[in-house]
Amino acid sequence: MLVVNNLMVFFENALALNGLSLEVREGEIVGVIGSNSAGKTTLMNAVSGLIIDMRIKEIRRGGQRISIYGNIAYKGEDITGIPPELRVKNGIVLSRERHPVFPESSVLENFRIAGYLRTKKEVREVVDYVFSLFPPLVKLKKRKAGFLSGGEQQMLAIGMALVVRPKLLLLDEPLLGLSPMMQKAVVDAIVALNKESGITVLLSEQFARPVLPVVDRAYVVENGMLTLSGTGADLMNNPEIKSAYFGV
Amino acid sequence: MLIGTTIYALINTAILALMAIGFNLTFGISGIANFAYGAVYILAAYGVWMLLTLFQLPYPVAVLAAVGVNLLLGALIYRFVLLRIRGQALSEVIATFGIGLAILELFRYLGLVGFEYHLPVFVDKSFVIAGTYVDFQRIAIVVFSAVLILGLWFFTHHTAIGLAFRGIAQDERTALTFGIDSNKMATLSMAMGAALAALAAVFIIPLGSISPGEGYDVLIKALAVCIIGGLGSTGGVIAASFIVGFAERFTDTYIGSHWTMIVSLAAILVVLTVKPSGLFGNQKELEERI
Repeated sequence: MLVVNNLMVFFENALALNGLSLEVREGEIVGVIGSNSAGKTTLMNAVSGLIIDMRIKEIRRGGQRISIYGNIAYKGEDITGIPPELRVKNGIVLSRERHPVFPESSVLENFRIAGYLRTKKEVREVVDYVFSLFPPLVKLKKRKAGFLSGGEQQMLAIGMALVVRPKLLLLDEPLLGLSPMMQKAVVDAIVALNKESGITVLLSEQFARPVLPVVDRAYVVENGMLTLSGTGADLMNNPEIKSAYFGV
Repeated sequence: MLIGTTIYALINTAILALMAIGFNLTFGISGIANFAYGAVYILAAYGVWMLLTLFQLPYPVAVLAAVGVNLLLGALIYRFVLLRIRGQALSEVIATFGIGLAILELFRYLGLVGFEYHLPVFVDKSFVIAGTYVDFQRIAIVVFSAVLILGLWFFTHHTAIGLAFRGIAQDERTALTFGIDSNKMATLSMAMGAALAALAAVFIIPLGSISPGEGYDVLIKALAVCIIGGLGSTGGVIAASFIVGFAERFTDTYIGSHWTMIVSLAAILVVLTVKPSGLFGNQKELEERI
């Protein structure tokens, strides 16, 4: 479904991604594991197309030069230079890191803003599904999103991405800043939406322990380069992963 | 006298809100301070005047045409000028102010100044309300302002584009991840802001006459109201219109008309000293605290 081939991204002269290649097949959950500054977010921005918008803004500002080499193919078509809104229309939807929500709007209104490309009826259907996925949100329907806790905001952010009806859902560090219990709830929901709605998921995370058991395959990224890849179970038993991410 | 002053203060409030709402809409959504706002306001007024006197068109047709032209002009200014400098506040201000100066000074150069350049009132009638004479035009302004604000509220809370406006105003990059095109929304916000300026002109200009100077005046008043209220906040525009509207009228009646400007400017200073981001500028205040 998604093939990233030899992707290189420079911010001015700093190399953020170095010859990264990966593949996501339809129906899979694929993890990208790496520490801070490994290039996870850059990868997500490149796949979702946000980086194209960032590059245009930097050019206008006369700021840093962002260069992108290599290519990204989605369903067999090269999408490397396509603007983000067209990628969203084709089904690639990103939920950015640090649970981005619209703080001044209520939970329900957040869903309706996210459903810009969908009809009111479609939005209502998905919102019902999101409430079944994340029951705590039901009680918070009318509350301003800015007043929700981090975990609740993360649930909302994933729900908002679902409202767009993605075919490929990109989750950038969905577990960041969440309690272990909340992490489990979010991971369970990711598995459920993959199984029930058949949404393909590519997620990046630095917490390998809760993620590796549920992913079909995972890639380990360090300093913008791929160091390891394999099935979730393989990586769980890999001694390097154990020492680097599990502290064993 | 107190009742009469209050009635006229209310009318003044409605006039200020009507003047500021378009400027506020554009800024609230796209962060563009449209300093050509006063110029497009005057452009619409001259446009209607020309269509009425030179082409003898019926009034409603002339108004619709002027609103349409402004809609297009706002969109064109964004597509051909602002697009390249989007995001740099100072460049945006200089570019739009330049466009505004060009339009206003062109009219001055053409010599379109004098009492014959005015727009007719809708209905030449007046009423007595609580012992005070109020003409139909002023009542129309109050009603239209209220309807417009309610209409805008409905638009931004219950339509897809309105909701997208609110999304992009809060977090542009997140809005982008839902397929909301920021350039399209900014174009629309400029177009709608300019169209609202045209509507405001059609309602307010019949109370006086059309002159290039009026364009600068409208810009300053819109800025004052928006800054007091907190840039980009509709609730702020309403509250600030009340403050400035009442301050102006009451000063005029009880202190002296030459103090009007000083009192409203003092109101800006006081509000900005107490709340630097304006009355309703919440988001900004958070940033300042950090």
